Amino acid sequence: METLQENTKSFSLPLGPIHVALEEPMYFKLELEGERVKHVDITSGHVHRGMELLATKRNFFQNVVLTERVCSLCSNSHPLTYCLALENLAGIKVSLRAQYLRVLAEEIKRTASHLFNVAIMAHIIGYKSLFMHVMEVREIMQDVKETIYGNRMDLAANCIGGVKYSVNLELIDFIDHSINRLEKHVDEIIKIYRSDKMILTRTQNVGVISADDVKKYGLVGPVARGSGVETDTRKDAPYLIYDKLDFDIITEQGGDVHSRAMVRLREVMESIKLIRQIIKNLPEEGELSTTLPHIPAGEAMARSEAPRGELFYYVRTDGTDMPLRLKWRVPSYMNWDALEVMMKNCAVADVSLIVNSIDPCVSCTER
Amino acid sequence: MKQSQNDTINRINTAFEKTTLPTLTWTTNDYDNHYAWQQLEKPSDLHEVAKLLKDLDARLCTITAYTEDRSLEAKRQSIAYHFSIDSILLTVTTPIYDAETLEPLEIPSITSYFRNADWNEREFMEMYNIKIKDHPNPKRLFLDESIDAGIMTKLIPFSSMVHGTGSTNLWEQVMLEKMGYVPERYKQIEEPKFTKVEETAAQPKSQAKE
Repeated sequence: METLQENTKSFSLPLGPIHVALEEPMYFKLELEGERVKHVDITSGHVHRGMELLATKRNFFQNVVLTERVCSLCSNSHPLTYCLALENLAGIKVSLRAQYLRVLAEEIKRTASHLFNVAIMAHIIGYKSLFMHVMEVREIMQDVKETIYGNRMDLAANCIGGVKYSVNLELIDFIDHSINRLEKHVDEIIKIYRSDKMILTRTQNVGVISADDVKKYGLVGPVARGSGVETDTRKDAPYLIYDKLDFDIITEQGGDVHSRAMVRLREVMESIKLIRQIIKNLPEEGELSTTLPHIPAGEAMARSEAPRGELFYYVRTDGTDMPLRLKWRVPSYMNWDALEVMMKNCAVADVSLIVNSIDPCVSCTER
Repeated sequence: MKQSQNDTINRINTAFEKTTLPTLTWTTNDYDNHYAWQQLEKPSDLHEVAKLLKDLDARLCTITAYTEDRSLEAKRQSIAYHFSIDSILLTVTTPIYDAETLEPLEIPSITSYFRNADWNEREFMEMYNIKIKDHPNPKRLFLDESIDAGIMTKLIPFSSMVHGTGSTNLWEQVMLEKMGYVPERYKQIEEPKFTKVEETAAQPKSQAKE
């Protein structure tokens, strides 16, 4: 009889692949004991598209377009890092003006991406009015993207050797006005996320990962910084003009869902700080991009800080106009693997909240 | 160059000089980022490198498997292991075939040194059909069991690739090659039928209602 009772206490629960936290497929097989998760088995690959193979069938310029389409939220970080890798390989010099414009696009994307994630967090815990509010605030940056780049997600800002867009004084005024509006709202949102009882109860001490485990799993981005690990590619190995700009690495100590959300919200403020410096110091002169370059045979690496953490590109060429191999590794790749640590002993009801807290990018991870 | 970056470079160079491993070559870019490269002769040296890098507090960024040329045979494969040590990126590359016979060599897993090598190794096992010795969890990562390993080394003509998106022909072809026949369940999808306008118009009203 006792054995029977034991058996009814522990069971396995399939979760996903559809709609666990976001509309991207991921499948978890949870081993439960009562309400608590004891073991997580992750199955991935539902949206594997073989993009790395596709990249070897296209020329270097076509691949800028391809990498823009790896995923929508990181659609600027991918072509940027791809171009950085090729520029490292061929020794292409990017003008200072183009570097400023590249960073402008990166930081505008970061603000919108971070706000999206914390909004979904409010949605998952059932705080619908906050979700709607944060999404509405995010619209300020969506409008900025649409106005400057003509598109709300894929900015198509980068090309090999520079950028494909420019901003005039009128647009700079518009950006300035928009980030001033955004700053006021985000300031208020940060206060809500810091103090609201409902948020704190649902997110503090949930999905905890220690700094030691962060290092063990090689985690990056807001997930690592939420556990107090000071890592940010923009500071660790500065690229473009990041070493000329003043900003801080944001860390929180809790290592839980709440800490990761706070890192993202505070990073929005840092991005606003960066955008302000960029529009103030943007050089008036300078080529937007170089002429069509020749990419010699060789290999090169590049990395950048995407909204979710370090994005890594490796390219190998043989002197033709197509890469012999193009490999990229996105931050969610490791962060996703570490879900098994974060979900250990969590309640079933918190699973989707924890999944969302790593800001998973499934189409990026599976390529 | 920043002092901290200089210190890291010295630390890495000193550690590698103490070993019998091949020396590092260094490259740099426009933003004063420094990159170290090492070419191993055989994959069995990976253990020593992994241990050394673990002691240097390195983080494994990712692992890239690739075929060295565009030939269809794809026998010359290499693996590049990319590490980050503070501001430095270090790539260790090893061929995974015997230089004379082109036979594949045994590759040790580095998961015991770097936990996040797990997914990376599983990925190239299925994409390139590379065998890893003593991997703790050698199951499929992304690809379904029904797909043969080594898909990244195969030539898939663009016409077949896009054909697969609009019909079941590609899938049937795969099943035909794999099993020698097309199972019934894959045949059941109805082909689109065309009905001429005059045929629909010719139907009596009462019949149309039914």
